Amino acid sequence: MLVSAIVLLVLASDGSYRIYAFGNWQPPFGIVLVLDRLAALMLVLTAVLGLFCHIYASGGADKGNRQFHTLFLFQLTGLNIAFLTGDLFNLFVAFEVLLIASYGLLMHGGGTARTVPGLHYVTLNLVGSALFLIGIGIIYSVTGTLNMADLAVKIPQVTGNNLNLVKAGGMMLLVVFGLKAAILPLCFWLPKAYARATAPVAALFAVMTKVGIYAIVRVFPLIFGEGAGELANLGMDWLFPLALITLGMGVIGALGADSLKTLVAWQVIISVGTLLAPIALGSVAGLSAALFYLVSTTWTVAGLFLVSELVTSQRGLAGDSIVTAPKMRHRTFLSVLFLIGAVAAGGLPPLSGFFGKLMILQSVEPGVEMAWLWGVLLVGSFLTLIAYSRAGSIVFWWNVDGHQETPEPMNNRVSISTGILTCLTMLIVVLAGPISDYTRATAEQLHDNRGYINILQTPVHVPQSPLVEESN
Amino acid sequence: MSLPLVVLLPFLGAIAAPLFAQGGRTAIAIASSVPALIALAALFPHWSVLAAGGTVLHSYEWLPALGLSFSFRLDGLALLFALLILVIGLLVILYSHYYLKAHENVAKFYSLLLCFKGSMLGIVLSGNLLLMLIFWELTSLTSFLLISFWTHKQDARRGARMALAITGGGGLALLAGILLIGNIVGSFELDDVLAAGDQIKAHAMYPVALTLVLLGAFTKSAQFPFHFWLPHAMQAPTPISAYLHSATMVKAGIFLMARLYPALAGTEQWFYMVSFTGMATLLLGAYIAMFKHDLKGLLAYSTVSHLGLITLLLGMGTQLAAVAAIFHVINHATFKASLFMAAGIIDHETGTRDMRRINGLWRYMPHTATLAMVAAASMGGVPLLNGFLSKEMFFAESLQLNLPGLWAWVPPIIATLAGIFAVAYSARFIHDVFFNGKPVDLPKFPPHEPPRYMKIPVEILVFACIMVGVFPTISVGPLLYSAASATLGGNVPDYELAVIHGFNLPLLMSFMAFFGGLLMYSQRQRFFDFHARFKEIDEKAVFEALVSKFVNLANRFTGWLENGSLQRYAMLLVVSVIAVTVIPLINNGFYIGENGLSAIDWPTGIAAGVLMVSALATAVWHRERFYALVLLSVVGLVVALTFARFSAPDLAMTQLSVEVVTIVLLMLALYYMPSWTPMESSKTQRIRDILIALVAGTGMTVITLAMLTQPFSSISAFFLENSKPGGGGTNVVNVILVDFRGFDTLGEITVLAIASLGIYAMLKNTALTPPPGDGLGHAWTRDHYPLMLKQIARPMLPLALMVSAYIFLRGHNQPGGGFIAGLITSVALILQYIASGMIWTQDRIPFRYHNVIGLGLLFATIAGAGSLASATPS
Amino acid sequence: MELLFALVIGALTASGVYLLLRARTFPVIMGITLLSYGVNLFLFATGRLATGQQPVIGTSASYADPLPQALVLTAIVIGFAMTAFLVVLSLRNLADNENDHVDGQREETPPHRNKNGR
Repeated sequence: MLVSAIVLLVLASDGSYRIYAFGNWQPPFGIVLVLDRLAALMLVLTAVLGLFCHIYASGGADKGNRQFHTLFLFQLTGLNIAFLTGDLFNLFVAFEVLLIASYGLLMHGGGTARTVPGLHYVTLNLVGSALFLIGIGIIYSVTGTLNMADLAVKIPQVTGNNLNLVKAGGMMLLVVFGLKAAILPLCFWLPKAYARATAPVAALFAVMTKVGIYAIVRVFPLIFGEGAGELANLGMDWLFPLALITLGMGVIGALGADSLKTLVAWQVIISVGTLLAPIALGSVAGLSAALFYLVSTTWTVAGLFLVSELVTSQRGLAGDSIVTAPKMRHRTFLSVLFLIGAVAAGGLPPLSGFFGKLMILQSVEPGVEMAWLWGVLLVGSFLTLIAYSRAGSIVFWWNVDGHQETPEPMNNRVSISTGILTCLTMLIVVLAGPISDYTRATAEQLHDNRGYINILQTPVHVPQSPLVEESN
Repeated sequence: MSLPLVVLLPFLGAIAAPLFAQGGRTAIAIASSVPALIALAALFPHWSVLAAGGTVLHSYEWLPALGLSFSFRLDGLALLFALLILVIGLLVILYSHYYLKAHENVAKFYSLLLCFKGSMLGIVLSGNLLLMLIFWELTSLTSFLLISFWTHKQDARRGARMALAITGGGGLALLAGILLIGNIVGSFELDDVLAAGDQIKAHAMYPVALTLVLLGAFTKSAQFPFHFWLPHAMQAPTPISAYLHSATMVKAGIFLMARLYPALAGTEQWFYMVSFTGMATLLLGAYIAMFKHDLKGLLAYSTVSHLGLITLLLGMGTQLAAVAAIFHVINHATFKASLFMAAGIIDHETGTRDMRRINGLWRYMPHTATLAMVAAASMGGVPLLNGFLSKEMFFAESLQLNLPGLWAWVPPIIATLAGIFAVAYSARFIHDVFFNGKPVDLPKFPPHEPPRYMKIPVEILVFACIMVGVFPTISVGPLLYSAASATLGGNVPDYELAVIHGFNLPLLMSFMAFFGGLLMYSQRQRFFDFHARFKEIDEKAVFEALVSKFVNLANRFTGWLENGSLQRYAMLLVVSVIAVTVIPLINNGFYIGENGLSAIDWPTGIAAGVLMVSALATAVWHRERFYALVLLSVVGLVVALTFARFSAPDLAMTQLSVEVVTIVLLMLALYYMPSWTPMESSKTQRIRDILIALVAGTGMTVITLAMLTQPFSSISAFFLENSKPGGGGTNVVNVILVDFRGFDTLGEITVLAIASLGIYAMLKNTALTPPPGDGLGHAWTRDHYPLMLKQIARPMLPLALMVSAYIFLRGHNQPGGGFIAGLITSVALILQYIASGMIWTQDRIPFRYHNVIGLGLLFATIAGAGSLASATPS
Repeated sequence: MELLFALVIGALTASGVYLLLRARTFPVIMGITLLSYGVNLFLFATGRLATGQQPVIGTSASYADPLPQALVLTAIVIGFAMTAFLVVLSLRNLADNENDHVDGQREETPPHRNKNGR
């Protein structure tokens, strides 16, 4: 899957849109899968993540449940459909596929601790799904179409009272995506659910919030972009302050965390806020910066989840709690990985998180927004720094006397996958140039929705190959 | 190429060092020295360019979009600092070789040290401000790791965290400042920034940018009020203290100010911020240094004070002062590093650093004592030593400040006062440690001279002190000139490096300081008594307490918000939706579109009434679960009827079948659950919820009304036209499902399949205890039917598969086949899993007969619904 | 007719939301079920109301919008899967925490003791 995702990435990097129309029905009538730069980026991101989480899981976390691998692959399926689909209702279906798989994965491994967070997660997402349907319904009832490219054409033509309806519908979609992305005040289901999930699952879930962000990035610039007339930039004035508050809340949560996994779970929320703030401002630079940061933070956070799990397994009763305990085994290995992850997540040089943040900081135009974003982001980074240094030094350095009773040894699969995933941040730094070029091109592609709309004109009745090229 | 190499080499060395760990300590030390030697050799050829006032620039593109490039720039200032870093670095490696104990992790030590060295070289050689910032934060990080090198010491960990928080936080401020400068100038290249000084100073954001940059510099260089981290960083091994916390890293802030001097200095804001900060630090550091009993504590506060002195000089804004500042950087680095090393030797040989116990060491280690005494004399500003020269320049400059009225007296007085303190603590260092009676209760006794080679670094540094003190022009003249020229942008004033400038006011101040200091030292007991009256504040404890308080606060705040209550989260979700949609909906009002309302016929009206009443009744009587469930099923049935009424037979049938399954499932669940919901919500909460619910309901009503009365055209005409010719079926809904939008259906089936898997996985681990009765006091029957379910459920799977296969085959030429088959298979699978799970979990429990019937019914209904759906007219 | 339909959806939503905000799993499940009825009706209504115009070619002169019907069908099935999952999850919750509170709180009265508790 990684290989195919990379092939698609290479295909997409020429800036064209490739579509696959199911049943060869001309869009907007049939469902189309659309591959563009954004989709390819997300696919590669997910494939890499999925690969290492899967290797990790096969190192023992999958025991006791034969469904694990099936669910895991279904989860990836849902993610991939979500990233590729060009149809709003199909996006809903994809969401449901990945959600139901995630419900199953979340509950994987049993234990009573997971039940209640799982219940909350499922319930809230069921309400979210209902909301999604209402939003789709409203938009369909006004425009009479579901294809996203077609919507991009039809939304600017909306007039009269229908504007109110579309606004309400669009905002509902924003809330749904916001729930998935875990924006404040919709983020409280996340920390406990993630902190208590099995490590590879939590690590894979690092990309789940990004699906919400993906959906916002996909749907809003395309349908409610600059060209949408009265509906242009719908909801973005809500999103910006909320993103900053989310960031702040995440930092406070991280600071107050009492276990490593909770800390990392709040880090997920921090990165959501960090990502959405520049997205809400809507510039190409901001979008590009956010995409760069998205790649970095997803892998980093996933790596940190795996590290925390390994720490748990090596510390006996203390688990991943931020308390003193006898020295763990493999301390050097784990503490180095934690250090790398923390530096990358906290956005310190020289790792990729810093470059993402730097791009985000640079992407804002001078003004009130800049003051707010800079202030919150930098103060947030400062407090995160304190949180990580505190947690790390207590967990790794502050040892009481005594030995761990028979800690489980780490097997190679587990340690190698964790190590590689954590160190991907270095690869991002090395490839920072090409990656930022790519995200910039992606952001430009997203900003100018004409290319996407063009897929409507693409003839799909070509018997030989379902892959049809449409030059941008 | 040579400049990037200089920076890169230490990092390579850091990777290589652990590899040499096998070869023993000497191998590592040698391996660690090699990068510095090569780097020195690489820098040497550039001297001719620099001496002529030129710069060397090696630049490689990295992230042009960010304005970040691998740009390395060497000029006089950079060279001066690079030499300090490399030479003292070499000496420290040699020194550490003898300082570290055998069991310590030498590889980690050298590796981190080299990382630090590389980062530090990066700072001074960067030709790009962003690149410099990267190295800047790297020094904070490596310093954190080095301070906490002895991780088992709590003080070390805490000191390290505090240092990281302060310097790292300052780095973030610096980042913001640099970004602002970059915004103003349009480039982060140092050459461009230095050339755009006037533009920066004229810009409206200049005050903000300057403040942020200075925050970065002040935190790094331990300026008041951020000075407190530095003394606590002394928990590091002594070579680290000597290297990072006196000679190099703390000078990074100074370096930054000198580096950006042409771009930022020369304004009133600069003058006031920098010089007053410097003055406060100078005085405070010198004052506290007197009272420290810890040898390293004394040196640490003295370092703080000297850093304040350099800052003050930079802040004065005159060119001569800047020259003096740079000169003092060199001098301070030499005498302070040697003093730290001497202190380390003493600590090493006596086992303590408490000056109240270490006395009279002259007898035991005269060689070391001589070296330390020379260095300390330099620190105190004794003539013929380098400290004297720069201090003299400082005194002279303090007289030159054009402050109004009496204020003009303030700088010279403060300077003299600080000089007095400096002499006093230097005298204490010399007299307390090496004379002053006999040692008191030393952990190691008797102390003796350290290994021969451990003293070599100290000797070299002390020799440098004397050389500079006696022959300043020959020894550092050219280097100083080129550094000053780089700092001042080429305009070096005329200055003279002479041992004595004649009898003038600065010399008088020096005399006053010297004798005043000696007097103060002789009367030290009074001062100690005076000082003892004040409670000493342990900044580390304060910092720790502050952090823990903050952590607790954050923890409580988080706990208060994230209280684990689904009710609250759900409420937030609903309220958020209402909040974001309320404006468009109020604008919408009770809008009725162009199509207007159509007439209501009686049967529909009654059905709708039933639906509404049952829905509301479900909510009202939800606490009586069984009745609520019955009402719920009524709602579901009427919904199915509604679909039928409004031209959707397929929907009606699907709704009906799913409805039945759902209700049965809920019945099953209710079997285990209490049949009665306790009253838990308070009245206000219920009223709040009712209000929320009403608003939500109204919102949906308004939306639906506006929507239904609006004229509409959709893409569906295409489906109606193409259904038969393209999709091969006349039931357009089913053709859409399997053909036009078949992919949705695939997803839908997948969802069912995954749900079944998930449910199975969950049930497998669930041990449900059935209630003893049905909640009304009736006991369940005690019949055992464990096999029954299995026997019915097991054959159902193949049966259902057969049915679906049949429908699938049938559906080959008819619409709906694949979809219905999938539906049946999936539902059958779900049931199978539920059934198996039940068997597994309920091995020995009584099972209600009608549950089994219910399950059987389920299959029948699904199969029936399936065939019905497929049998719809084609 | 349109007003009536709108009121029906409003009533379903309101009761659904109210039940959703209760503290026990069973009412929450019922609330979500009611809510999904409302949503399904709403989605169905996006094609506007039509009487006697089944979208089956050849049965009528004009046809109701078939697309929303197809969407609702999908939504119903997905909703069923989700509800089933939620039901089992709440059973699991019941088993783990010995009561059916949504937050899993162990409280003073175990659920099966209140035989005559109504």
